[in-house]
Amino acid sequence: MSDIFRRDPRAEWIARNRLHPMHKPVAEGPVRGPSGLLRKNPHAVGFIGPNGIKRIDRSGASTGGSATRQSAKQTEVILPLHKVDEPDFYIVVALDLVSGRLNGHDKDVLGLAQKLANIDEAKGAVVAVAFGELKEENLDVAGVDRLIHFYTDAYQEYNPEQRCADLQVIVKELQPRHILLPDSINGGGDLGRRLAAKLGQRPACGVWKVNGDQVVCRASAGKNDITRTLPTLMLVLEECSEPVSETRHQSLIMPLNESQEINSTIEDQGNISVDPNAIPLAEAGFILSGGNGITDWANFHSTAKSLRATEGASRVAVDDGNMPRERQVGATGTWVTAQVYIAVGISGAVQHMQGIGKCDKVIAINTDESCDMVKRADLSAIGDSSEILAELVSLVEQNNNEKGADHDQ
Amino acid sequence: MSSSALLSQIMPILIFVALLLAIIGAVRRALLWSQGQKSTIHWSGILAVPRRYLVDLHHVVARDKYMSNTHVATAGGFVLTALLVIAVYLFDIAAQILNYMLLASTMLMFIGSVFVLKRRKNPPANLSLGPWSRLPKSLLIFSSSFFFLTLPASGLLSDLVPELFSSNIAENIAGNIAGWLMAVVLIAGIIWGLGEMFFGMTWGGPMKHAFAGALHLGLHRRQTRFGGGQSTGLFAIDLAEDKLGVEKPEDFKWNQLLSFDACVECGRCEKACPAFAAGQPLNPKKLIQDMVVGMAGGSDAKFAGSPYPGIEIGTHKGGAIIPIVNGLVEADTLWSCTTCRACVQECPMMIEHVDAIVDMRRFETLEKGQTPGKGSEILENLIATDNPNGFAPASRMNWAADQNLAVLGQDVEKADVLLWIGDAAFDMRNQRTLRAMIKLLRAAKVDFAVLGEQECDSGDLARRLGDEATFQRLAKTNIALMSKYQFSTIVTADPHAFHCLKNEYRDFGGQYHVQHHSGFFADLVKKGAIKLQANKALSLTYHDPCYLGRYNGEYDAPRYLLQAMGIQIKEMERSQTIARCCGGGGGAPVTDIPGKQRIPDMRMADAKETQAEIVAVACPQCSLMLEGVVEPRPEVKDIAELMLDALVEDSTNE
Amino acid sequence: MTNNNLSVISLISIGEHPTSRRPRRAEQDARAVELGLKLAGERLKALYAGTIESPSIEVALRSYLGMGLAEINILNLSDPADATLALAEHLKAERPDMILTGVRAENGESSGMMPYLLAEQLGMSVITSIVEVSSIDKVTQQAEVLQALPRGQRRKLKIKLPFIASVDMAADAPRQSAYGPAMRGKLVMNQLSVQVEDTLRSKWQINEGQKRPKRLKIVKAKTAADRFKAATAKVEGGSGKIVHGSSESAKEILKMLIDEGVL
Ligand code: SF4
Ligand code: SF4
Repeated sequence: MSDIFRRDPRAEWIARNRLHPMHKPVAEGPVRGPSGLLRKNPHAVGFIGPNGIKRIDRSGASTGGSATRQSAKQTEVILPLHKVDEPDFYIVVALDLVSGRLNGHDKDVLGLAQKLANIDEAKGAVVAVAFGELKEENLDVAGVDRLIHFYTDAYQEYNPEQRCADLQVIVKELQPRHILLPDSINGGGDLGRRLAAKLGQRPACGVWKVNGDQVVCRASAGKNDITRTLPTLMLVLEECSEPVSETRHQSLIMPLNESQEINSTIEDQGNISVDPNAIPLAEAGFILSGGNGITDWANFHSTAKSLRATEGASRVAVDDGNMPRERQVGATGTWVTAQVYIAVGISGAVQHMQGIGKCDKVIAINTDESCDMVKRADLSAIGDSSEILAELVSLVEQNNNEKGADHDQ
Repeated sequence: MSSSALLSQIMPILIFVALLLAIIGAVRRALLWSQGQKSTIHWSGILAVPRRYLVDLHHVVARDKYMSNTHVATAGGFVLTALLVIAVYLFDIAAQILNYMLLASTMLMFIGSVFVLKRRKNPPANLSLGPWSRLPKSLLIFSSSFFFLTLPASGLLSDLVPELFSSNIAENIAGNIAGWLMAVVLIAGIIWGLGEMFFGMTWGGPMKHAFAGALHLGLHRRQTRFGGGQSTGLFAIDLAEDKLGVEKPEDFKWNQLLSFDACVECGRCEKACPAFAAGQPLNPKKLIQDMVVGMAGGSDAKFAGSPYPGIEIGTHKGGAIIPIVNGLVEADTLWSCTTCRACVQECPMMIEHVDAIVDMRRFETLEKGQTPGKGSEILENLIATDNPNGFAPASRMNWAADQNLAVLGQDVEKADVLLWIGDAAFDMRNQRTLRAMIKLLRAAKVDFAVLGEQECDSGDLARRLGDEATFQRLAKTNIALMSKYQFSTIVTADPHAFHCLKNEYRDFGGQYHVQHHSGFFADLVKKGAIKLQANKALSLTYHDPCYLGRYNGEYDAPRYLLQAMGIQIKEMERSQTIARCCGGGGGAPVTDIPGKQRIPDMRMADAKETQAEIVAVACPQCSLMLEGVVEPRPEVKDIAELMLDALVEDSTNE
Repeated sequence: MTNNNLSVISLISIGEHPTSRRPRRAEQDARAVELGLKLAGERLKALYAGTIESPSIEVALRSYLGMGLAEINILNLSDPADATLALAEHLKAERPDMILTGVRAENGESSGMMPYLLAEQLGMSVITSIVEVSSIDKVTQQAEVLQALPRGQRRKLKIKLPFIASVDMAADAPRQSAYGPAMRGKLVMNQLSVQVEDTLRSKWQINEGQKRPKRLKIVKAKTAADRFKAATAKVEGGSGKIVHGSSESAKEILKMLIDEGVL
């Protein structure tokens, strides 16, 4: 919650009003445009020294915090600023920016980009290309030296062909040493391959390791590794490199020749809302699964509904007719890969445990503290399942209400 | 012309017509069977029919003493009566002795029929109604009509009748009228009787079973089943044929079609069938009757027995050249079967339900690609990894990393015993059994080795799911592998592999001496190579695996072993030949056709009834199915595990 | 829904089973065939670019026939040739409305570039990871497709015909391959004009996939107190946390749900 960018009208007003006593400290911080984009005032850099000469403190230590979030950030350590004013070359990174923010994958790619930009004491600049909404405030600490942002309405939608054309323009203009994209299902994988085809370049896909001028790529659907020389265009996997963590970067807006609009053959009709229970179990990210320890199935279903979780079941619950067969989780049912798997009243037969082996976090709700499910679970709640679920539902609703209220402000 | 004269004139005509019609009917019926595919004709079997009827068939019928005696009386009486009637009334052989014999035979038949009738008062659900309720009456009418017809001719009445009817004219007239009346009634009765017994026999009445049954017993596809033999391996099919499996009734072998006609709708199969009891849409009796409908063409509306659970009668139609599945029979019906062979075991007419079901499944899988449930996934895994769950073939021996097993081809080239591991290798529960077995083999100082990673699934599951192609590939791979090494016996804990290796690999050139671990260990115990503590007073019941018991006739070895440990087995009501399946065979857990209950739950209820605390099993599939039943329930233990607990370590040789 | 004058081609390849490494019907390509069969019925054409070096590859290829295809067209390319040019050549003549293929191959480089390169060569639109083609309008030359997004979400897109689409694993599972039709179907060989050698690939070094280490949480301590905390904190792993009492439990669960971002 603390990372959400919020406009602070008062601070903005102070920033505009040069006569305001608080004007100076506020205006010195980065200001954001209406789209949430960083706007830097090049004149505001530095301060006037005692002898009347303008001084610029390059250590970054004296830069004030953001006017918008001063209170929250006050205790944070201020990282040294890494500046590249006249880069020798560029490294272009097209970010995924799922719902306007950097995710782990983006950060890893930026980390790799910074590594490549500073290889052998080189002075490269990492140019991040952002399409559409940008809510992220921490572009600087993630390793963005320059930023190119496309944010007209067209970019609020899925328009891979336009984005690809834009990247082509950027590539032509900057002649980057490397172009990096996350090899993800969130757009990067698609965009990168489009670009490769357009540029007639052979990309390295599934890159997970860079060793000097060698890259290691996952091939044969994950069964093999290919080691090859470092190419220009790379689609990289998550955890290909550590994210940037010790420096802050300029994240300067980079001017760009107007991109031309192209004729799209693809038209985004919007996401269709998917009922959590219509999601195939194997794909579901959040599963609430019931076993024979459940006495009140109506309560179970309503809980799943208010948590917006996909329903699963143990074999016994299916055999007893409480749940349909296609909801059965386990080696004899469906192998699931959920990020969070809540097992309610499931003691954990071997086959069931096999089926949830790939789940990230398992939460057990059970009366029996010694059962196998509790041993496997990352978090176990011991007690009556219907009580716990009821309590959880009311907490979740409360939480949602708070959020709703937050948005109204 | 007197009434008796009329009778004597009309009788030969009636019988002649009835016989003629019967012969026409028989030819028509034979034409129906001949729609089927070629199959070897075992002519010699025809000569064996009386013996097969009296010995093999009655061996089955005799499980129900009441019905067995009734059938002997009725059927014996009828056969005699029919022969005598033809002799006396058609060929007019006027030997008094024949008349007496005829009286006796009709009386015998009459008595039998009375018992049939009695049985039919409040018939149990497994009996068919409709024409089958008419049959006892027809039997009574047939036998009594001929009895009364023969009574005067036999001379027993001849003194009586003139005295009664000729003393004066008035009485004479009255007598004449009575005589005519009696003649009419008698003729009506005889027409009814002949109609049911002669005409009906070949035109589709209940008596059809006698005609088709006799031929079927003679020409049975599995000749070795008779005379105490066993024949349970499925028949192989040629994978190069244009059509694989059975799509339409005409795709069955002709002698299979004949066998369907032999069904007496006694419903013993229905009573034995676990899928039927579990409320899955299968009733073996109805299935056979549907095949009869399919062969002759028509709808199942006339079927007078229990329906497939959950499927209404009269909604399905078929014909000899109309696809069976989803016209005459729903696919779910075929896929409910666990291939437990309980129906085949119980069928007095020796009908082979499982063969027919697998034949139809073959078409579903090999031609239509419609194996339900997880079937297609499992088959794909078997094709790609040689095991049903898609584990890496190289991990087949992971479980035995600490066991130091001798692997054929790596460590040794020959061994006395080849230990067949089976897919239990991938299952944590059944690995316990395997470990116990290995300890026992070592304790008995048996020279054994395994095939290691190279071993493939036996193909049992693929074959029962109708994928003959995969079965044959697996069988041939295993046979080729084993041909490289020398061993005298194969021992396995898995009755399914046991059955395949013993009975089904033969068609592909694999002849082995195979023993189930229970049989092998029983021999070792008898020889004294394994010593067991004889003081284990466990409260235990034993569940017969279908593929060990009914498929291979092994009921004694496991019991011998348990008794050798001093255990008094609390037998379940359904045990040995009539043991109820655990629900794990034939791919039933894979196809998973919904019913009202689950078969393993029913079996566990059987076990609970004995108050036993342990259910001993002798099959990895049974242990999985029965352990899948929700607790509290008796503990499930393999014989090998129990033996290991009771093993007396021999310290003298250490 | 089979459309009578729609021409659809599914591109197929030989997959590789992840554990046994045996050739098999590739999972995504099989889904592309399944989708094609639903759209075009028996008029679906299947195209395979590659060689049939061994009987097991033929069996794998035939398993596509077992889905109900009458024949498979084969461009006999010796591996590791670049299939795109040859495919493009062949497809230019066919002028299909729709080309379906898997997102990426199960062996070789499996870069997932093929649909993009083909689209470039043929001047078609390309779209990735579809799960369904919900409607096709031959008049406006547009199709409506559903695209798979992470975690079961779907995006609806309109796309111009003709196009190339890669089919996602989330699409309908392929029908079972039946042995009989698989053995009886025809494999039709096509002669080839282009034959390109992949010079780049010959320099690559291909190994068995290494297991990637799971990233550890690196604690970059800025202060002595942080360092102390990092050194004494309980190591992750081991058994999980256990809580009692319903309100306490609900709070903990909620916390985890929020941390994991599933709410
Ligand atoms: S084999 Fe068993 S399950 Fe199948 S029909 Fe016969 S009795 Fe029923
Ligand atoms: S198939 Fe056999 S057991 Fe079943 S009803 Fe017919 S005769 Fe009886």
